Amino acid sequence: MGRSQIRFLALVGAALLFVVACGSTSAPAATKQVKVGLVTDIGGLNDKSFNHLAYLGLQKAITDFSIKGDVTESKTGDDYVPNLTNFASKGYDLVIGVGFLMQEAVGTVSGQFPSVHFAIIDGAGTDASGNDLKHTNVESLYFREQDAGAMVGVIAGMLERDKKAPGNTGVISAVGGVSIPPVNHYIAGYKWAATMEDPGIKVLVGYSNDFTDPAKCKSVAQTQIGQKSEVLFQVAGGCGLGVLQAAGQAKVYSVGVDADQKDADASVIASALKKVDVATYTAIKGVVNGSFAGGALTFDIANDGAGYSLDNITLPADIQTELDRVQAAIKAGQLTPPADIPA
Amino acid sequence: MPLASVLFAFVVGALILLVTRANPIDAYTGLLCGGLGLGCTQGENSALQISNTIVYTIPLIMAGVAVALPFRAGLFNIGAEGQFLAGAIACTTLGVKLHDWPTVILLPTVLVGGMAAGAAWAGIAGLLKATVGAHEVVTTIMLNYVAQLLLEFLIVGGPLELKSGTSKSLPIGDGARLATFLPANNSLVFGLPSSVYRVHTGLIISLVAVAVFAVLLWRTSLGYEIRAAGQSQKAARYAGVSVRRTIIVTMLIAGAFAGLAGAVQIAGVDHNLTDKYTADTTGFDAIAVALLGLGSAVGILLAALLFGALHAGGAVMQADAGISSQLVLVLQALILFSIAANFLNAIKLRIPRLGRAPSAPASPAVAVAPPQEGPPTT
Amino acid sequence: MTVITEILQLFLTANLWQIALVFAVMLLLPALGGVISERSGVVNIAMEGMMLTGAFFAVWADLNWHSPWIAALVAMIAGGLMASIHAVVSIRFRADQIVSGIAINIFAAGLTVFLVRSIYGLQDVGHVTQAESLPNWNIPLLSSIPFLGQVLFQQNVIVYVALILLVVVEIVLFRTRLGLRIRAVGEHPQAADTAGLNVYVIRYGAVITSGLLSGLAGAYLAIGYSNTFSPGMTGGRGYIALAAMIFGKWTPRGAFVACLIFGLGTAIYANNSTIHISQYLLNMLPYIITLVVLAGLVGRSTPPAADGVPYAAGSE
Repeated sequence: MGRSQIRFLALVGAALLFVVACGSTSAPAATKQVKVGLVTDIGGLNDKSFNHLAYLGLQKAITDFSIKGDVTESKTGDDYVPNLTNFASKGYDLVIGVGFLMQEAVGTVSGQFPSVHFAIIDGAGTDASGNDLKHTNVESLYFREQDAGAMVGVIAGMLERDKKAPGNTGVISAVGGVSIPPVNHYIAGYKWAATMEDPGIKVLVGYSNDFTDPAKCKSVAQTQIGQKSEVLFQVAGGCGLGVLQAAGQAKVYSVGVDADQKDADASVIASALKKVDVATYTAIKGVVNGSFAGGALTFDIANDGAGYSLDNITLPADIQTELDRVQAAIKAGQLTPPADIPA
Repeated sequence: MPLASVLFAFVVGALILLVTRANPIDAYTGLLCGGLGLGCTQGENSALQISNTIVYTIPLIMAGVAVALPFRAGLFNIGAEGQFLAGAIACTTLGVKLHDWPTVILLPTVLVGGMAAGAAWAGIAGLLKATVGAHEVVTTIMLNYVAQLLLEFLIVGGPLELKSGTSKSLPIGDGARLATFLPANNSLVFGLPSSVYRVHTGLIISLVAVAVFAVLLWRTSLGYEIRAAGQSQKAARYAGVSVRRTIIVTMLIAGAFAGLAGAVQIAGVDHNLTDKYTADTTGFDAIAVALLGLGSAVGILLAALLFGALHAGGAVMQADAGISSQLVLVLQALILFSIAANFLNAIKLRIPRLGRAPSAPASPAVAVAPPQEGPPTT
Repeated sequence: MTVITEILQLFLTANLWQIALVFAVMLLLPALGGVISERSGVVNIAMEGMMLTGAFFAVWADLNWHSPWIAALVAMIAGGLMASIHAVVSIRFRADQIVSGIAINIFAAGLTVFLVRSIYGLQDVGHVTQAESLPNWNIPLLSSIPFLGQVLFQQNVIVYVALILLVVVEIVLFRTRLGLRIRAVGEHPQAADTAGLNVYVIRYGAVITSGLLSGLAGAYLAIGYSNTFSPGMTGGRGYIALAAMIFGKWTPRGAFVACLIFGLGTAIYANNSTIHISQYLLNMLPYIITLVVLAGLVGRSTPPAADGVPYAAGSE
């Protein structure tokens, strides 16, 4: 635990620095311009989700630190290794892979270029068997999505318990993209917290098997609405916009994901946030000021790497009080939202 | 002539870039560097670029053959993707289950296993076509989706998954892997660790495959039957060719090529089955490769190389010039149009000439239709 | 066993059929376009690309002019223009129609993303508001019929349009002189030419019509259902429509049956939160059913005799 506490403190520090850095554009006196390469997964930069957020983090770092930042989008999964290798072989200081799907590629390339720094969102540099290779030049940027999921779960659960939801049916739901860990963490926290607030609640969990096609997510959402769900949590990136649309048409509530999605539809009452931009920025900052340490960094509610936003709704005071209580309890380690979806 | 068509496409592509206020010279410099390792301006390693292009080209050659062969028989195999996935699934399953077998036995086993799975997958379409006349376009599209979902079922929470939440399979045994030409270690070659050059012995397999395609088509009686069935089923029947048998055999062989492509990709590059295969497009790209290659062995080789180079080049173009790598798709389409319509000739002669059909039969959809009076249904 | 009961029970819910019809219609429009084009003798596998182009331009136009009707028109024109490329290349230049169709699909996939980047940069394309999307119309009286009302009469305007078009295309193709001409050109172009029909004009018209219909389908997908554009959002629907057309033996009603199978598949899959089976296996259902039906019931499907054969008038 000692090691992780140090990490935790370092992160709080980094987050503070991030806040401070927001206002300033002073570049450190570097002799040589730092070069950063960002490789997206197949979602591409217009994914309205984590690839886009990572890009925003890079843009901010370019402004703040006067670094050179370049992007390559992966068209297929076969592109991960060559795209990472291209940047590494050209002497980039930091190469960032966005997404869980790139773990093995980062593991391979980071071994070939020990003097280049690597960072990966949602994963580690692994071998083919999925073992973390623990290369010292790789920073794994993990998120506790379940923290963010729990906060919006509190809202959904209390709305049902207090009979403040549109129809008071006692049913809420989540629409996931594909059943992979980053998605299921969100849903796990959501279901756990909603059940904590309202033990009698029914939580439907469906998947669209897609991250880009809004129509697919909308059909799943409409079906859940037909099964009386009245708060729908989308965990499917660009596809999930269809969930928000479905909720808007049926006059029920929806919850956004990753970024604040209040503008996507009037039905969005809250969003579960995963600050991929902060993580990307933090990794770049580490390379710029020489504090890049390698190993795992976890972004959670305690270091403001995950959280929630309140959107198109004015919450009753008791829900806000409960949100503050739960947030404090998670920060203090008194409450730990689970990573696996509770039965 | 195809070379001129490619040039024509690049000229039109440059115009599109100019209209969108991008610099075509930057774009094409990036493409050339990323595709062929020539004229790199931003410190790219030429050998690495060439190696990447070849790695992309290898599966395209074999999958291209898998589309081109049925074309010759008047069949449109839109299902190379599904057959590719079937091959990859079979190769991985065998390579994992039999991981401790020695290379001399295991490697042929996984490759043949991939071929068998691809053949079976395509064979379903061939069998349905030959027996009940179900159109291969419908059946192969359906089989593509089934293969893709089967893959997801197996590796996302299914029986092949490594451990829960990983969305990938166990790696295949060492004996099931195709060697790379350069040692897979960090000794420096051309200034970079030699393991970055991923060109593997699957290259030889793909060259053999395309040679087999040429010999099969032009030097065997089966090849004659395939071409005869493609020209006219009626005439083929008069010539004593069993059209049904030819359809089934053609699809089986085509599927074996596509399945081999999938197996080689696992054995030579990835070594395990991952989520990324669900978004794979090799089998679809192969359709364009087969059409562009005019159905000949050399043509397929060159077309696969062109598409491989464009694929690799697009990434470098985006990193260097900031131009979306999607431009590559626009160029691919323009090349296809230009080859198919033979614009250049038409413009030169001012009159439309008969289009050079990329495959001998005018078009598979026709060639499969027995001449018949009146509308098919009332 | 429970899984089968669970699925069978779904068939008693109006919700399932309502969603099934939504997705059936998204396939029906391009499938009708395919039927018209191929009946005239031009193989058309470009519905995917024309639909995707329509989807992009629908959103673009709606965000610019704030009218779903104008946007739908723009989408149809965009689809029609893509179809014109296919028509010129395959009729005028007599190119292989499959090559041209594949090229259109690749072209549209690249072009739409390229346009997104050129126009919107890396920002969101944006959302079409509920008020500016193609509206849902509840038909008075009829929509209150139990069950059927929800399925048939509480739908998007495009659903009604598509169902009307289904009947219109069926009648025009098989009960009118125009339909006879289209089919004549697709079966025996030489004879049709001799009889005084202009083969080129009819083929151009048919191919462009398929583009208009596919463009409309794109508009429905983008501004009638999803209310946004995302790259590649057609997700293979144009190819499924192609399959539906062939499955339906190049007839509108046959294609509609196939579209309904796929629509039902989507709607059943959408219930994966309550059906106790792997979602991937559940998702396979419509494809396997199609294969089984082809193997057992439908059997041989034969395209129009001159489908795919470029026509060169005798004099040239």
